[in-house]
Amino acid sequence: MRTSLFIGIILLAGCSAGIIHGLVNLVLVEPYLDKAIGIENQHMFASGEAKDNPQFWAEYYSYRAWQKGGQLLSGAILGMSIGSLYGIVFGYSRNILPGNSFAKKALALAAIMWITLYLIPFAKYPANPPTVGDPATIVLRETLYVAFIAISGFGALGFYQIYKRLKSRKMVAFIGYAGLMGAAFALMPQNPDVITTSMDLVNGFRAVSIVGVSAFWLSLGLILGVLWQKLQPDKVKQSKFQ
Amino acid sequence: MSLSKEITISKSSVPKVALLVLATIFAFGVFEVGFDQGQLFSIAFGDQAYADMYIHELTHDMRHAAGFPCH
Repeated sequence: MRTSLFIGIILLAGCSAGIIHGLVNLVLVEPYLDKAIGIENQHMFASGEAKDNPQFWAEYYSYRAWQKGGQLLSGAILGMSIGSLYGIVFGYSRNILPGNSFAKKALALAAIMWITLYLIPFAKYPANPPTVGDPATIVLRETLYVAFIAISGFGALGFYQIYKRLKSRKMVAFIGYAGLMGAAFALMPQNPDVITTSMDLVNGFRAVSIVGVSAFWLSLGLILGVLWQKLQPDKVKQSKFQ
Repeated sequence: MSLSKEITISKSSVPKVALLVLATIFAFGVFEVGFDQGQLFSIAFGDQAYADMYIHELTHDMRHAAGFPCH
């Protein structure tokens, strides 16, 4: 394996997919964020925490510009980060993934990781817009979210090992993973924060959030697959003397 | 007389250096975008970083959109 090429194509794929994620968010997610933050502002005016005056709005538009611009930069950072994990897993599993080309194998792995690390955790702890979430519970919510992703990810890895060792009845491994996640769903606490805002806003936000993250995983699989197919970082030229 | 011949072989193992670099990028990136509440800048700016939360604000919209708990 050519180390620098291996790292380079993983980071390039992750960065590109992360920027695509940021662009999708700018188009689809931002209107929901603006609406949710608008509701937060109204609550602050009503409670006297902030005053509805030109100084407030000048500061508001300044930090909102910073936050919106951050979609692309943080998309690139998150993309390289998640892409690094994906690249490590792809490096180890590429010869056993389904598909007759690296492009198809990369897409297959992206689909597996999208389901186990995003979609299943999302079903238990879905994304929420601003206005939902008590700052006092942030550490608990972060801990629950990370723990659930870890259970799902390591559970998938563990049951894959069982799947490999089973000579027949391989479905047992899938049933085992489903059982583990079912138990995690039932036993792990709910998000403690009560939703007091419109469910139309929350559900609309969650739908576009899924579209954005799905676009990321699809892009990551496509880009890494094409780069791997073209550049083949695992092929090493060696001189042989006869 | 010896002849030199170039052959291409496939090496399946992931280099340890790559593993270390990528694992570090993964941990750092997820922490910064998903969880930082001022910790990184507190190294340089002390407690003021927890009040300013520049990284939190920069990653705010992506944090919500990607499904991380934000505030």
